Amino acid sequence: METEEAQIARGLRGRDPDVLDALIEQYQHRLLRYLLHLTGNRAVAEDLFQETWLRVLEKGHLYDGRNRFVTWLMSIGHNVAIDYLRKRHPSSLDEMMDPEDGAPFEPPAHDPSPFDMAAEQQQHERFNAALGKVSPLFREVLVLRFQEQMKLEEIASLIRIPVATVKTRIYRGVAALRPLLQGGSQ
Amino acid sequence: MTAREHERALDLIMRRGTEEIATPEMAWLNSHLGECGECARYADDFDNTGRMLRAVAVTASPSLVQATQTRVRARALHMQEQRSRNVLLAISFCIGAMSSTMSAWLWWRFGGWVAQRLALPTSIVEPGVFVAWMLPAMVIAVAMLASSHPVIDRSLTMAVLGEHRKEAANDRA
Repeated sequence: METEEAQIARGLRGRDPDVLDALIEQYQHRLLRYLLHLTGNRAVAEDLFQETWLRVLEKGHLYDGRNRFVTWLMSIGHNVAIDYLRKRHPSSLDEMMDPEDGAPFEPPAHDPSPFDMAAEQQQHERFNAALGKVSPLFREVLVLRFQEQMKLEEIASLIRIPVATVKTRIYRGVAALRPLLQGGSQ
Repeated sequence: MTAREHERALDLIMRRGTEEIATPEMAWLNSHLGECGECARYADDFDNTGRMLRAVAVTASPSLVQATQTRVRARALHMQEQRSRNVLLAISFCIGAMSSTMSAWLWWRFGGWVAQRLALPTSIVEPGVFVAWMLPAMVIAVAMLASSHPVIDRSLTMAVLGEHRKEAANDRA
């Protein structure tokens, strides 16, 4: 029986618009969240979101269905973001922060919910602000590890860095958030 | 406690939850966390970071998704058309090359006959016959080269993007 990944690979090879529509629907929030955490800017993340899907269409024949689709999708998103960075900021990922406002990370917009408790809301806002101060290099691995639940090896192959570097970035990312969160709570 | 033990503990902390860890390994980690305050504190920070990060809600707006789907469909259609055009051009090229090869002898004879009738020198007739023989292939080659620079009708894309940006601006307002 054909696996889900094999079905996706077949659809991408045939550039089937219905398959792509379904994939966009299915992975919209995860991809946007990853790009938003990577770039720290919602407008840029939305542009890169569209570019990523166009590249998925163009490079779809390269997906063989042996690995998880989400890992391949995120690697395409990562490459699109890197290309954007090279065009606009040639030095490093750190410069993906918006140079104009000094507070680079734009906390993600979310609709107010009657079920949100005020304290929890405050805590989330504080965390978003703290996250914005962390280097995008660390933010990226934290998002992939915690939100995408990726294995260390998957993250390493996606970003094309050694597993040891992934671990270092996670360690430093968590360590960087600790004082920021503690400072915010005082 | 050695540095290697701390390193092993950090590795297991980072892997638990996403990877299967053998029971003896987990038992060792729990025992280590019971004894090592530094690693236990890091494990707490790690878990708290994960919990907070997972609680961050990011949603793509329906207009963004719709604009992306429209753009992807338009590009897919364009690529399909380009591929069909390239196939047709390749077939035309093959037919042209075959007919040129097969008719080369006839062209040569025809050139000789024209030269004889008009009393033209061979320095004019031979290049002339060669150019006439190559002409169809050259025309097709130029057409194929031209088609490799896609002229994309971006009006639909730009219209969709324009609508999306307007909606986004309205949302923000």
